[in-house]
Amino acid sequence: MPTHFLGDTAALTGRTLRHVTRSLDTVLSTAVMPIAMMLMFVYVFGGAIDTGRARYVDYLLPGILLITIGSGISYTAFRLFMDLKSGILERFRSMPIAGSSVLWAHVLTSLVANLISLVVVVAVALLMGFRSGAGVLPWLGVAGILVLFILALTWIAVIAGLSASSVDGVGVFSYPLIFLPFVSSAFVPTATMPGPVRWFAENQPVTSIVDTIRSLLAGQPAGGDSWVALLWCAGILVIAYAGAMAAYRRKIA
Amino acid sequence: MVITGRNLRRLVRVPTLIVFATVQPVLFVLLFTYVFGGAIRPSGVEHYVDFLLPGIFVLAIAFGASQTGVAIADDLATGMIDRFRALPMTRSAVLAGRTVADAVRNLFVLLLMTGVGYAIGFRFHAGPVAAAGAIGLALLIGVALSWINALVGLLVHDAETAGLAGLMPVIVLVFTSSTFVPIATMPGWLRAFAEINPVTVTVDALRALVLGGPTAEHVWQALAWIVGLLVVTVPVAVLRYRRTVAG
Repeated sequence: MPTHFLGDTAALTGRTLRHVTRSLDTVLSTAVMPIAMMLMFVYVFGGAIDTGRARYVDYLLPGILLITIGSGISYTAFRLFMDLKSGILERFRSMPIAGSSVLWAHVLTSLVANLISLVVVVAVALLMGFRSGAGVLPWLGVAGILVLFILALTWIAVIAGLSASSVDGVGVFSYPLIFLPFVSSAFVPTATMPGPVRWFAENQPVTSIVDTIRSLLAGQPAGGDSWVALLWCAGILVIAYAGAMAAYRRKIA
Repeated sequence: MVITGRNLRRLVRVPTLIVFATVQPVLFVLLFTYVFGGAIRPSGVEHYVDFLLPGIFVLAIAFGASQTGVAIADDLATGMIDRFRALPMTRSAVLAGRTVADAVRNLFVLLLMTGVGYAIGFRFHAGPVAAAGAIGLALLIGVALSWINALVGLLVHDAETAGLAGLMPVIVLVFTSSTFVPIATMPGWLRAFAEINPVTVTVDALRALVLGGPTAEHVWQALAWIVGLLVVTVPVAVLRYRRTVAG
């Protein structure tokens, strides 16, 4: 990897990060919807939902973290779309800048912004009674999976940002990503679902990722779920990265 | 009747209004029945969908009612109300026509929701009279909500604000009520609010009519809320309308 690629990426990441730090409200607002959902599910539905655990917030948090990422990445698509519309990418093309570093800057900014949102959500969960018996290593494992998931979804967001024809169309891609956790083990155990719904829930990526995070936070061995989760994240990441690069090449051609 | 006809024609020409009023409640029914329903077990109810649907009736009507304020605010903004002033018609006909049209729309929505419910296992357990009573009570709730939203539309004069002002309280009240889960499962501070929440009162009345068992107390409480709301909002809305058209 050429050194100027790293330098260019660092400089451009600094630029996009400044956009974020100047409007921190956008980062925090991505956490508002998941927090509202967490409050509603814990306090309104939590007492009625049987998960076999003492505290429903402990069961719920992993799914809420994924929803936070799902709602957060739409801002990446929006920022990239605005860069395209403003013509800044055209100006970058005329400079001696590594082509893909423009995209990587947006991706790394998304990573930072989403991690801030996740910290806010975890802080609220702690106030609501969330507790974890996990040590440092399991927490690092959770962080690793979340980082991988953010990167995978952010590259999907890059495709959306490059392909959208209007501001309204930019965020539409994130709706299925926010919806998927609902038909998974995020809110209720899949064993309580009827046949076809249960089959779908057990074989979609969110369930394995949620179950892995839940096991790690509970200080239990994640087992085979962790490998399935990693494969899903890595698979989505590779395909989305390839798709984003192809879309970018088409855009600048 | 003429104004009612105008509002009903609008529903036919802009079917997205009906779609908005039905798609979200249908999604809630499917999500809560098939995804969450197996993990929620209200006592004395065999199938969760029987517990859920009376609440969804109120949800569907409340979501739809928010469009009343939007329509009236829109009529004000576009000058339609001013054109009505120039015609030889009763002043209150605009509001009355709007709420009657809403009642017709609500009847359609209720029948559609009942159809969806029946397709996934919902049943009226207390016989046809109680079933008709449940539909009638739901329509009365709709009338009360329509008048509230009509007043909102007259107060804010802006369609977008009217939509938000009509929808936000509904979302809060519906989710902090017995719509989805028994309030006995909620923490104390929330249960205290849920017990006095008018949505809980009306949902419990509908649920009693659907599931059977003692209904009188629930129904009287719901009717008291409906009458109380109408007694307050109808005169205020009519007065506000007269002031608005008087310039």
